[in-house]
Amino acid sequence: MTTPHWLIEPETRLGPCECCGRRSKADLVEKTIAGAGRVLRAAMFSADLADEDGFLQRVDARVKAASVLALLVVAALVRHVSVLVGLYASILLVASVSRIPVRQLVRRVWLLVPLFTGVVVLPAALSVITPGHVVVPLGTWFGTPVGFTAQGLTAAALIVMRAATSISLVVLLTITTPWPRLLAALRALFVPRAFVLVLALAYRYLFHLLGSVTEMYEARKARAPRDHDVAHGRAFVAATAGATFGKAHALSEEVYLAMVARGYQGQATATDRGPLRPVDLFVFGTVVAAALVAIGVDHVVAH
Amino acid sequence: MHIPDGYLSPSTCAVAAGAMTPVWLSAGRRVRKVVTNRYAPLTALAAAYCFCVMMFNVPVPDGTTAHAVGAVLVAVLLGPWAAVVAVSVALAIQTLFFGDGGVLAYGANALNMAFVMPFVGYGVYIAIARRAPLTSRRRAIAAGIGGYVGLNAAAMAAAVEFGIQPVLFHTADGTPLYAPFHLSQTLPTMALAHLTVAGTVEFALTMGVVAYLQRANLPLLRINHPATSSGAARELPSTRWRGRTAVLVLGVGAFLTPLGLLAHGSAFGEDAGPWHHSLFNGYGFGHDAHPAVGYIVSALVGMAVIAGVAFAVVSLISRVRSPVR
Repeated sequence: MTTPHWLIEPETRLGPCECCGRRSKADLVEKTIAGAGRVLRAAMFSADLADEDGFLQRVDARVKAASVLALLVVAALVRHVSVLVGLYASILLVASVSRIPVRQLVRRVWLLVPLFTGVVVLPAALSVITPGHVVVPLGTWFGTPVGFTAQGLTAAALIVMRAATSISLVVLLTITTPWPRLLAALRALFVPRAFVLVLALAYRYLFHLLGSVTEMYEARKARAPRDHDVAHGRAFVAATAGATFGKAHALSEEVYLAMVARGYQGQATATDRGPLRPVDLFVFGTVVAAALVAIGVDHVVAH
Repeated sequence: MHIPDGYLSPSTCAVAAGAMTPVWLSAGRRVRKVVTNRYAPLTALAAAYCFCVMMFNVPVPDGTTAHAVGAVLVAVLLGPWAAVVAVSVALAIQTLFFGDGGVLAYGANALNMAFVMPFVGYGVYIAIARRAPLTSRRRAIAAGIGGYVGLNAAAMAAAVEFGIQPVLFHTADGTPLYAPFHLSQTLPTMALAHLTVAGTVEFALTMGVVAYLQRANLPLLRINHPATSSGAARELPSTRWRGRTAVLVLGVGAFLTPLGLLAHGSAFGEDAGPWHHSLFNGYGFGHDAHPAVGYIVSALVGMAVIAGVAFAVVSLISRVRSPVR
């Protein structure tokens, strides 16, 4: 069963519409509730896509994880924007044959990239930071000619493309793989068993704690008028965080007792999915070949 | 502060992950030793809690809000080794699930936020709180300062990781291959942002939670402080601790003294005047045949003389003050 559309859509704002009039800054209560909602929406979105019958969804999780790791290393090693653009285009191609809404994938990645990368990297293209051949002169500041340099712009394009490619790879892995399979794949990639166990438990109870936090914030929103006092706000956040720690600690004890009641003796066994199918081996072989081709092309472009 | 993939070279990421491996192994072993089989649910819930803390919007005075990391808070509540595991797991969930922080850069992110931050912050917290009672205001403020210093230490570590990239990795024509900013740009930028806004948020949250637990749920603070008194009775630091602090402060001062060997020029306004018949004239002997040796010997003799005079004065005062037996 897929999640109803209305449940994963962002909540419509009640009151003054966003399109007109003065919009005040959302307060900390609304922001935290919205943040928790975003996490749940992202989880449901991935769970739905992982259930689709597409190309990537059918590939073994271990193969996908190893392939993504290999391609991440390739993306980090190549030195030419053109190779990264080619890599990114092939990622989008694979996404489109896996019934993934490509527009949504592109939007999600490029919403993250300009925020964290674009804004930070653009000043680096200036001759003040990356000296070199000035291609876009911007006049003189304090008697020194300033402008965008070829080296600076190349560096900026390189880092933005590399970040976009890397984020797309990771997003593609997580939205086409159910979480339990992804954890089993981590185990196959030599991540210690104890770490995978803690990761699985943390992910499970994360939503429980987020639910408690949302309830506390909603209760406050329902009862208290909007408060602009910074000190009050901080005291409220601290009290919520303190109370949440109490809940988390009590819950950990309950979880432990429940685990012991079901026979837990300090060792957890991961579900084994058996040997890899020939198709999975073929996919991995193709990825390795593509990675080698990308590195080869990068070398050829360099000379 | 979550470093995405693409900012750091693969070799930097490998070095950071290599540095974190013994820390993770040690943290896993220590946590398991203390809480035995409970380690899995306890650290998992601590990680989930850490994730929630990173989602709390803490108000800042300009009307907007900012996030805290909470690594020092977890270190104060559960100990620094548990914080290493909890923050590492929280970072792994953010990386894998929300694209927040890179997969290859995971080791570097863990180094900054799951190792440097909790350990530096917890060290500062212990140094300031010492044996103050569990309910004392000093303990809450110490936790806040620990959070502030820990976050800034993590930011500095990240700034160094960014700043070394353009020097180490660039093409023949000077095009930087990874993060393009130099140390002279990353250090002040990160310091400014974290010393002002982010550090204040971390201070407020860490201190606020400890203060809340002091009022509302003291047993939770006792988890990591089983032997600390909770009563109002004020305990003075022991003489041994005071002695250790004094030796530590003097030691740092003595260690910094030979800076004069590295500095150029002469000291301002310290012209000795016409008198040139002192034992170590110009902080040297033998007409400056071995200036470095002369300087260090002068420093040692000077310190010994000052210590001797101070000891004589203190023992004289205590003899006068102590009642006649």
